[in-house]
Amino acid sequence: MKPTGVIFFPAFDWAISPTHPEREERLLYTRDQIFEEGIMDMPEVREYHPRLATAKDVSRVHFCVPDVESRVTEAHMVSAGCAMVMADAFMQKEVKNAFAIIRPPGHHAMTVVHGNRGFCDINNEAVMVEYLRRTYGVKRIAIVDTDVHHGDGSQEIFWHDPDVLFISFHQDGRTLYPGSGFTNELGGPLAHGTTINIPMAPRTTDEGIHYIMDNLVLPILDEFKPELVINSAGQDNHYSDPLANMSFTAQGYAILNQKLRPDIAVLEGGYSVETALPYINMAIIMAMAGIDFSNLREPDYNPSRFKESAKNMDYIRALVTHQLAAFRDREKVVEANRKEGREFYGSSRSIFYDTEYLQEEQRLDLRMCPECCGYRRISSSCAHHSGRSYSVFCISLPAACCPDCAARARQDYEDMKKKSGHGYLYLQDRIADEYKTFETGTGRETVL
Amino acid sequence: MLIGIDVGGTYTDGVVFSEGSVVSSVKHPTDESDLEATLLSVLDELLARGGTKEVQRIVLSTTLVTNLLATGRGERTALLLLPGSGLPFSAYRISPDTYFLKGGMDFRGREIEAPDAKEVEEVLRKVHDSGIERVAVAGKFSNRNDAHERMVEDRARSLYPHMDVCTSNEIAGRLNFPRRAVTCYYTAMTMREWNRFADGIEAAIGARAPRSQVHILKADGGTTTLEASRKRPCETVFSGPAASTMGTIALSRESLNAVSVDIGGTTSDISLVIEGVPLYASKGALIGGHLTHINAFAVRSIPLGGDSRVYEESGELRLGPMRLGPAACLGGVEPTVTDVFNILNGLGLGDPDASRTKLQAVAGHLGLSLEELLGKVADEVVDRLERNIEEMFGLWEDEPAYKVWEVVHKRKFQLHRVIGIGAAAPAIVPMLAARMGVEHFLHRYSPVANALGAAVARPTLAVEVHVDTGRRTYTGSPGGLKGTVEKRNFQLEDARELARSCLKEASRDRGLGDYADEAHVYLEEQFNVIRGFAQEGKLFDVGIQIAPGFIHEYKGVA
Repeated sequence: MKPTGVIFFPAFDWAISPTHPEREERLLYTRDQIFEEGIMDMPEVREYHPRLATAKDVSRVHFCVPDVESRVTEAHMVSAGCAMVMADAFMQKEVKNAFAIIRPPGHHAMTVVHGNRGFCDINNEAVMVEYLRRTYGVKRIAIVDTDVHHGDGSQEIFWHDPDVLFISFHQDGRTLYPGSGFTNELGGPLAHGTTINIPMAPRTTDEGIHYIMDNLVLPILDEFKPELVINSAGQDNHYSDPLANMSFTAQGYAILNQKLRPDIAVLEGGYSVETALPYINMAIIMAMAGIDFSNLREPDYNPSRFKESAKNMDYIRALVTHQLAAFRDREKVVEANRKEGREFYGSSRSIFYDTEYLQEEQRLDLRMCPECCGYRRISSSCAHHSGRSYSVFCISLPAACCPDCAARARQDYEDMKKKSGHGYLYLQDRIADEYKTFETGTGRETVL
Repeated sequence: MLIGIDVGGTYTDGVVFSEGSVVSSVKHPTDESDLEATLLSVLDELLARGGTKEVQRIVLSTTLVTNLLATGRGERTALLLLPGSGLPFSAYRISPDTYFLKGGMDFRGREIEAPDAKEVEEVLRKVHDSGIERVAVAGKFSNRNDAHERMVEDRARSLYPHMDVCTSNEIAGRLNFPRRAVTCYYTAMTMREWNRFADGIEAAIGARAPRSQVHILKADGGTTTLEASRKRPCETVFSGPAASTMGTIALSRESLNAVSVDIGGTTSDISLVIEGVPLYASKGALIGGHLTHINAFAVRSIPLGGDSRVYEESGELRLGPMRLGPAACLGGVEPTVTDVFNILNGLGLGDPDASRTKLQAVAGHLGLSLEELLGKVADEVVDRLERNIEEMFGLWEDEPAYKVWEVVHKRKFQLHRVIGIGAAAPAIVPMLAARMGVEHFLHRYSPVANALGAAVARPTLAVEVHVDTGRRTYTGSPGGLKGTVEKRNFQLEDARELARSCLKEASRDRGLGDYADEAHVYLEEQFNVIRGFAQEGKLFDVGIQIAPGFIHEYKGVA
């Protein structure tokens, strides 16, 4: 039997600020626990060495304003690189599955990056997904976001991508950051139903979450038939997490991973550094490696402490039924949207960067392509703390772009070069694996 | 006058080193059944040849513990584990006589579950009733709080005073409970035999060179006094390769990146030297299939040596791995790698015509000329060595890293030279070095590098302290160091100072003299403990060590 790949990157020399939840201490006790357990010495586990993601790896997903180097910290580049190391280990069949225990996290980072949102600069899973597609030709991927916070960044990145199924269960957005992830958020017009949100009431227990796993998540995965399942593995549903209000346990997390059987798990949030993280990280490694985890428990664990209320179970059952139907309707809805025959579908919104207090204004236009899922044009503006205001225009070709969209998108980029109004112009050409930046003021173009 | 003796599996080598030269050297076959006698016969011959000069220090490297553990001849030893929550108990397959006890600690040394005194006594009675007299006790996170291990040890000592009891925190204080348990178990298993051996040696040397210090070479290439070794016999495993490596560095004496290739009869041992310091196995010595907390050099043994047979099989050229006797030029039946280099480099070993005749036959089977065969074998030997060396570089470069700085400044192994030791090295190493584009280094003392390495190696000692200012405690390894920190504004420099004073104390206890002054800090970590956006304390880990090196008396070879 092949081992489980583990990469442990605690970034012991990096913090957002000294007392921030995302600080050096976050994975210290996890280090103590997994090293003391000696689990890395077991034949069931193989430890890997981190590497840096390149600017090109990041540009397959993001438009970093003005560029990757000045926008993304080295810590984030290592974190994303670690996820890619796990992807390589898995695809090259060195391991049966893989777990990246890394920080900083990534699932709040969106396509356009003006700064840090929800402790994230860049989206580790998304960078890994585009790397998997480019390097190994993987097409259909499912991301199950088990963090207590809605994975709004991953949702936004794959919103128009019908080949990536994004499922997020999280504490109800009316009670927790980032305030999104409701049941009506189901994806863009050509990718409807491949975004599934499962908002849970505060204090939901193991029982509630496992009901959702058994009756919604697993059946959907079964029907979607992804080539690869990724667990965006936050650990803040735990009963001791200081930033959220759920009642999940380490045993609950272990069983969840045993059921989900992710090919690759990537750590996201989780800020109960002493009473949860050491035990949940052990639990996930053990579950993925097939090691009996019945002897694992938190110091204050009491199996009879949390009982799911009948009322909440009723809510969960209704939620599951509703979302299962939404998922099964997806092809019909996409078909109807296509038939409308619009050239472009447009939307506008405002994005708040909580870590840095930035406000971005964004306009997105998706080509309602009859052949593929369409290319995107995004114009975005934001005043940075440097005092500079940026107005940028981004063009993104989907990984499964049709030749027509590709030609139009490239033409759009050339046409836009001649116009003023945007400081920077970006072309994310995933077909040619070429990422262009055009600085309007100087007329300088860089290509990655 | 310094004496070094390396008891190897086949031969025991000894040298007398004085005023920059190897004054005499002795080689005797090793009698595995009586290592003490072998050792003393070599010592006696060295002393007899050394004349009247006084012996200042004798360093011994022996296979006693390695053999006891490798052959499974160790006495039955009970392992009492307090694993608490975590891996299943079935993960601990160390001793057939393992007992699990209640009790649990967390990573900051806070008690999660108390041990059960009645259960402890019952288990000890079972151990006693099954006739076991050696007991190892290991608890998870005992390195952060040894109270549970102590409690079990105290019960054992008071109820069964004749038992040998070892606790894991005393043997090794680093994180990794299974490795601590294994190291403790092996210590308990070998302590009695080692002490018997030490008694014999002490008496014998006392009678022959009463004023000489007696040191034992450890796996980490450093020495420890015979007295201090009594508590930690396990540290003496794998001292043979350590002796060779220390010998090569003693001879080359420059802080370069080097690879040392010890080409013996059947195997070649490769080790890396980084800026003059040999590289340790990152996971500790592997003994009997278990990783331990014993620091040992990262030595890769490949089944290719001077006596590896050169032959044809199904139309292909084969080398080794079996040894069917000495080289043809030395009277062997089959041609070997040594025969190849004998002709290729015109070494004039033994009877070169025998080399030529036998190799010619192999070449004939393969449809090659003799010259072609020689070229092919030489290429293959150099290829295999080079491949293994490159893999070792790669492994070193790819060690896990836990800091952003380490990943951004990824380390790269830049080789400067290849050092050859062992009988076949002069024939092979120059070619290998040329292929790798670096210089080679061979020394006339290479054949006795192992004994020389033992003779001039200095003591080593590493101390790691873990300070938790929130709980006002510190613990440290080795030897169950612990205490309280009272200072209010305790900082990293205070932690460093604490580690240094712990090291000084430990080296005084072990009679290591003033080498403590040469210790350097190799590990430094500090973390703020933040609860609710306020600082509650700090955690420090500081490691300080007297690294492997040479005694003050050694100033190089003349």
